[in-house]
Formats: sequence, structure tokens, C-alpha cells
Amino acid sequence: MIDTSDAMSASRTPGTARPGLIDRHDLLAALDRAAERKVTVISAPAGSGKTSLLRTWAERAGQDHRIAFMSVRPGQQDAQMFWLTLLAAVRSASGADQGTEPPPATPGFNARAMVDKVLSEVGATGEPFVLIIDDLHELAFPEATEQLTELLTDLPPQAHAIVGTRRDLPLRLHQLRLAGELAEIRAGQLRFSEDETRELLASAGIALPGHVAALLHQRTEGWAAGLRLAALSLAAHPDPERFIAEFSGSDRTVAEYLMAEMLERQPPEVQGLLLRTSLLDRVNSELADLLTDGTGSERILLDLEDANAFVVSLDPGRTWFRYHRMFSDLLRLELRRTLPGDIPELHRLAAHWLAEHGQAADAIGHLQAAGDWAEAGRLLTDHALSLTLDGRAGTVAVLLRSFPAAAGKDSPGLALVHAIADLDQVRLDQADAHLQVASSYAATTPPGRQHRLRIALASLGLMLMRLRGNFEGVFEQAGALLAPATGQSSADVALGSDLRAVALLNLGVTEAWSLRLADSERHLLEGAAVARRIGRPYLEVACLAHLGFASTIHSFALARQRCEEAIALAARYGWGADPVTAPALAALANALIWTGQFDRGEHWLDRARRATRADGEPGIRLLVCLTSALLQAARGDHHQALEEFAAARQMQALMVGEHALTSRVTAWTMATHARLGMVNQARAALAAIEDRQAAVGEIRNAAAAIRLAEQDPAAARRELQPVLDGTAPVHSYLTRVEAHLLDALACRDLGDERTSREAMERALSLAEADRLVLPFAMTGAWELLGALPSQGTSRAALVADILDAIRGNATARPARGLAEELSASELRVLRYLPTNLTRPEIAAELSVSANTVSTHIRRIYAKLGAADRSSAVQRGRELRLLSAVAPERRTITESR
Amino acid sequence: MGDDPVLYQIRVSGHLGPTLLTAFPVFVPQQQGAETVLTGLLPDAAALYGVLAKIEALGLDLLEVRKVRPRHQQDPRST
Repeated sequence: MIDTSDAMSASRTPGTARPGLIDRHDLLAALDRAAERKVTVISAPAGSGKTSLLRTWAERAGQDHRIAFMSVRPGQQDAQMFWLTLLAAVRSASGADQGTEPPPATPGFNARAMVDKVLSEVGATGEPFVLIIDDLHELAFPEATEQLTELLTDLPPQAHAIVGTRRDLPLRLHQLRLAGELAEIRAGQLRFSEDETRELLASAGIALPGHVAALLHQRTEGWAAGLRLAALSLAAHPDPERFIAEFSGSDRTVAEYLMAEMLERQPPEVQGLLLRTSLLDRVNSELADLLTDGTGSERILLDLEDANAFVVSLDPGRTWFRYHRMFSDLLRLELRRTLPGDIPELHRLAAHWLAEHGQAADAIGHLQAAGDWAEAGRLLTDHALSLTLDGRAGTVAVLLRSFPAAAGKDSPGLALVHAIADLDQVRLDQADAHLQVASSYAATTPPGRQHRLRIALASLGLMLMRLRGNFEGVFEQAGALLAPATGQSSADVALGSDLRAVALLNLGVTEAWSLRLADSERHLLEGAAVARRIGRPYLEVACLAHLGFASTIHSFALARQRCEEAIALAARYGWGADPVTAPALAALANALIWTGQFDRGEHWLDRARRATRADGEPGIRLLVCLTSALLQAARGDHHQALEEFAAARQMQALMVGEHALTSRVTAWTMATHARLGMVNQARAALAAIEDRQAAVGEIRNAAAAIRLAEQDPAAARRELQPVLDGTAPVHSYLTRVEAHLLDALACRDLGDERTSREAMERALSLAEADRLVLPFAMTGAWELLGALPSQGTSRAALVADILDAIRGNATARPARGLAEELSASELRVLRYLPTNLTRPEIAAELSVSANTVSTHIRRIYAKLGAADRSSAVQRGRELRLLSAVAPERRTITESR
Repeated sequence: MGDDPVLYQIRVSGHLGPTLLTAFPVFVPQQQGAETVLTGLLPDAAALYGVLAKIEALGLDLLEVRKVRPRHQQDPRST
């Protein structure tokens, strides 16, 4: 959940004069000048006045610029949280947040894509845009420097950035500096001048003679925080001159002296509130009332902000506040000095309130500060998965590290947290070890938590096994996991839903890879539904992305449709190139290639490759390699195909269980060797296969292909017999299509034209529903299509599609010109003619009336000089009016 | 460089009152003129940087950081 309070709303009421704040004209002018450069860095120590300057400047500049303002949270360990907050601020400034959802957090995080997204949102308006990021030194995640450097050096034209930091950062901005596009403002420029000091005092209503003001200026050395603190104390002081004289005469450090003075002047309830709430990162009136055991906190906080006493509200409604960091650090020290015994209890109170209000990470931090390690451990165990799914694995890691080494014994759940962190980083062996440790504690866990622990162990264990490709293990665990549980607390249910969605995803994926497609489909659909219900879009997309492959049990058309839906959903969240979408991209490419759309298939295959991590799941990478191999084979690049098949086999080697596509990889490898004339190699591979596996249909086909290469068609027919009569098990009907085609080739070689034609007819009949093209290409049986008698309309279209796809790369044939060009709408209709859709169906596809379609078709026939549909199609092909692309049933919104 | 704790002296501007001193429990303060010298044993460099970060956060004016070499121990490997 992003912290939008870190992003100041661009429309804070301008011109609201706050006491004690003056308009520092010269400094603002300096910043105006600096901001003409691309990047301005304001680098000055705590309390120098950076934030006031930035806010004042932003309010003024907001007249002619779009301003996105954010402050980095203290100790920000989660890169994604920072970037999502920045993106939200940018979207708010550019108006893009009207009508579209903000991107949700994801477990994995692609920094490059996120930086690109921010930059493109900044540039999208085309108007002058200023990014203001305060407290940049608080970024505490690795690669913060690189990511920031990327952002600042790639700003679009019209965009500028101003950043505030307490110390010089190792940003590599030499390019900007060399180009004169880098400006700096340092502590020296931020110091108040004597004149400004006088102005400040005057605006706070403090009347002092000139030399006294000069004394104050000298003592504080123009330090903004010192002057502000002084003004707070002086405002209602009975003897301001004496105050300054004493202050001057003291050697105490400015901050401590003036803070103590300021605090002393506050009524006791204000003092108590400031001290007790100083240990919070952010405070609201409820929390303040709780920690002070009082009721008047709201008024106090608002008054403090109005008095400009280092308290700043974070939202337009002024419900949440944050203290100036240095101020709260000093208060905390004072708390430690004066009320040390109260501190653990204050942390505890805060922790419970925060936990109840959905801020588990902060709550855990407070429990740790109170030394309640056991409770902190339990809370972390319960929330680690949720935090990780929210993209806050960085926070989880830091919280985990903060436990003392011995805490592991009191809190066996911590082993579970370690396992979650390991799984997130794909450290599988370590995850396994930690899960073992966690399960060894299961018996000693209190009964109220046993159920939760068992479910967590089962679900995480399942994830581990899936990542290792240990399919059998997955199925063993799944049964126990998915039995519906009863009598659960709300914490159980929340955690349970996350675990359930994750478990269904992992189970569904494993079932898909094991070709239990019906089960896979059922579980993935359920997983997507659970994910949608609990608001976890990333899990929803993950389930739907794998659904495409599972849907091949029905048809390639359905698979295609579901892949496209998943890709569109992913694109809506900006995950078009994210690994979560890779399964859909790969399955779509696969479906397109099977149905002869080689070019489009190649496009999606490239996208699938780019979306797949090099260390990603072997199952996906296997599918990508296999699909690539099929494409090469279809285009006649058999050597390339062999390389890809080999790569696919390497992926299999990384998995514990056998991936269902492996036997096809093996079979096609042998068949390709045979086709290339490397018969001995193929034969040797075949001999190495054990008998039970060799009886499988896919392997039988390969054996037949070898026989054909050995010029023994009769033996080939014998190999194919069990496949054709149904006695050999097959993974899918695709194998049978291939078998018929091989049989047709064998018969032709035997001179039996009639049986050959019959086999081709059977192949076409099976291939028709899905409009399969690939088997005809791979086996080379497409050559036999010409010998077939003319077909009925739909079959003819399929034959034409096959030939067209195969000849797609052939040299262009001369086109006889058209007397009259076809219009765009006529072309659209023409592209549907090769399909077996009726006119009403075409009308539905194009969202026009059936009459419109008929009119178009009449005109098409006339212009092409065709008498019927098939001759119109043929003429269309000759004229290259039909691309090799079949019309899409749906448009895909691709991500930017 | 061994793993024995190291004695550091850190000099800041101004006198540190009781509140600020609670931030440096490991150190003994000594006022020298208008400055304060904090003397303390720290386990290693990481601890030192932690202390320096606190000094930065509290807006103190850092004047000097010095590692004090014990007089009776001569490290035979010292250059």
C-alpha cells in the first residue's frame, strides 16, 4: 500500500502565510535561476531550511509548472514503495490519476521499467514539469543510486528536477555537469542573513533593537532551525532581550538549548504529547491520545502546525502529522532522559494500534524496540507473505535482521519468514532448509497457531516444489492444502486467502506442465477468482497467464483468446513485459505458430523471450525454446530447430520431475535428425529410449520419420499403426494429426495414392477445428495437398491457408493489377473469406450488419472478377491482398 | 588492524547538555572552551560511522575525529 501522504498534494492553499516564515526573495530567486538547469541539488545539513525553501518555491512555481512533490520516508528500504509514491505524485500532478487506477505493488520489481514509466508520465503532458524530491539521503535500498541517476539523467525536455539532501550523494551526474545542466545550492546560501533574521523576527511579531537581532544572528550563525526555534520561544516571551543575551552567553549547542527553552514554554500536556509521540514515524490524534492517555491531541497538533513548530501535516485533511526529523530525534533523547521507564509501554501501545490499523511493518518495528521479540516474531510470521506480495520484501529483510540471534528459538515462525524471503529470491536450497526447521517446531507451537503454521508450511512447500519442477511433490501437498478449513480467526482468513491463492496458482501451473489440463484450468480459474476477491492483481494475472496453455485442452482458439485477455489485463497494470506475463506470451506464440501464423507468432515469441528472466522458471523457458524450435522447423530451418530442441532439453535437466512436453521434444529432435539425413544419430537416440516410453505415440511418430528417412515406408506404416488405431497413448490429438500425415507420406512412397489421399483427408479433418498448419509444414506433407480433389469451402480455405503460410517466405509472385482498388472495409471483409465463417458470423466479428457484409462481398467479387468465395480468395492471394495473418478476433492493448 | 576496540576522540562545537549526551552513552564528555570532546571506545569503524550519522542527524558541528593510539602498545606491523 503506497503512502500517499508522502506526496504533497499539488494544491495546498497558496499564500497561506504561516507565522515565522518569511519570503526569502534572494534565495527563491537563486533557486529560480538554478531550476533553469535540468537538475538542481540542494545539499545542506539538518535544519538548514531545505524543506521550507522547497515548499515555498513549489507553491509559487505551481502557477506555471506542473509540480510533483514528494519526501522520502525515513529509512526507506523498499525501492518499489519509493517509486510507486513518486509515480503517484507525478500522476497527481499530470492529472493522469483521474479515471485510471494507480499501478499496484508487485512481489517482483523491475526498476528499469518503473523508471521508464515515471519518465514517460512526466513527459506525457508536454508541459513544463518539475519533480521535487526531498530527503533523498533517506533512500536505504541497494541500487538507489543507480536508479536515481537514471531518472535524473533521462529527464524529458521541459522537465526539471530539484532534490534535497542532507549530505552529498554519490549520484553520477557528470554528464549533466559537463553540459552545464547541473546546479547546486549549499548550506552557505541557505543561511539567513542579518537582514533576513530581522525580517523573521518582525514577521513573528518580535520587536527587538537591531544590535540584539544581530546577536541572535551571530549566535545561530544564520542556521534556519535555530532561528525558528528561537522565534518560537521569543514570540510570547516577557523579556526577549534577556533571553537572547543569556542564549548568547551560553556555550550550549544551539539546537539543544533552544529546544529545551521551547519545550519549557509549552503547557504540560503539549510537552507530554511531543515527548511521548516522538518515537512514532507519523502521528495522528488517535495515536497521540492513546500514548498520552488524554483526549485533546487533535487541537494540540493543529495548533503546533499553525505555529510552525516543526510539525507538518501530511494530508489535505490534516489528520496525519510528522515532526521534523531533527526535532523528533531531540525529543526522543529528552524522552529517554526524563521518562525512560515509559518507553517500552509506549512502543507497545503504538504497536498494537498500528497492527490493528493494517500497518504491520511499523508495528513490528515498535515491538522490536520494546524488546517484545516473541510477539514481534509472531506478527512478522503472520504478515511476511502479505508484505512480500505487496513488494516489501526489503522491509521484511530488515525486520528479520533486527531480531537477535537467539530469537529463533522462541519464534520458530521466523524460520518460515526466512523461507519466504528465500523463495522470493529463488534461493531454493536455503528455503528448503528453513522450511525443515519450521516444520520441526510445528509440534511445539501453541494449538491456536498450529493450523496457520501447517497451512503456511504446505503452501510454501508447494511453491518450492513447483519452482524445482518437482511435480509429484506438488500433487502430494496439494490435497491437504485445499481442503476447506473451518473455525478460523480473521487473521487466519486473511493469511489463508493469500496462501490459498498462491497455492492454487502453483498447483494449477504444475498441473499444466503435467498435462492435467482440465484440473489445471479449474484451479487456475479458482486462483484468479480468489486473487481478484482479495485484491491481489499480480496473482490474478499470474493465474490467467498460465490459463492460456491449460486452455489448449479445448482449442487453440480458446487458448489464444485467454492469452490475449491475460496480456491485456497485465498491460493495464503496466506489466506487459514483466515475467508474470511470460507464460501468456509464450502460449500465445505457441498457439499462433500451430495455426500457421508464423510472423505474428515470432513477434510474440520475441516478447516472451524478453519477458523471461534468465534465471526464471525452467517450465516457461522450456516452452519458449520448444516454440522457437517449432517455428524454425516450420520455416525449414532444421539446424536451428535442433539447437532450440537442445536448449529445451537443458531446461528439462533443471527440473526434478519430467515436464510433459519433454517427450515431444525428444520425439521431434529425433525426427529432425532424420529429416536432415542424420539417421544414425536418430536411430541411436531411439534405441536409448526404454520400451515403455517408446510405445508413446509421439515416439512412434519419430520412429516412423526415421523409417521414412531410411527409405522404408512399409516399416514406417507399421510404426504408425498403434497411433492410428488408438492403442498407443498420445499426449494430444496433435500427435494423431502428425501420424496421419506421416502415413500419407509413407503411402505415397509406396505408390498407394488412394490411401495416401485418404490419410491426408483424415489429417485435414482433424486439423480443421483448430485450423492447424504446423504439422503439415513440419512433416513436409503439405506437398501432397495439391493432389487432393477440390474441397468444400471451409476445407479449401484451410488448405489455402496452409499453402500460403508455407510459401509465406517464398519470393513474391507477380501480381496482376486491379482495375479498381478495394476499400479498407472491403479488405477487412476479404480477410475473413478464407475462414469458414458465415456472413452473419463475419458481421458479428466486424460489428456491422449482415447486409453490410453482403454488400461488401458483392463489391469484392465484382472488383476481383470472382464468381464465388474460393475464387475470390484465390485472386486475393495472388494479388497479395491477404497477408499471412488471419484476422484477429480481439485487439490487444500493448503496454507502453 | 586487529579486532580490539578502538579509542576515539570526537570534538564538536558547543557544550552538550544532558539531553544530547543520552545519544552518546559510550562516551565521556569533556568541555574544552566552547567545545566538547567526547572520548570513548568503539568496537570498529562501522560503529564510528553510526556515531557520525547521529552527529549529523542532531545538527551538531563536527570539528575533529581522532583515533587515539595507545602509548604502551606498538603494533609490530605498523608502517
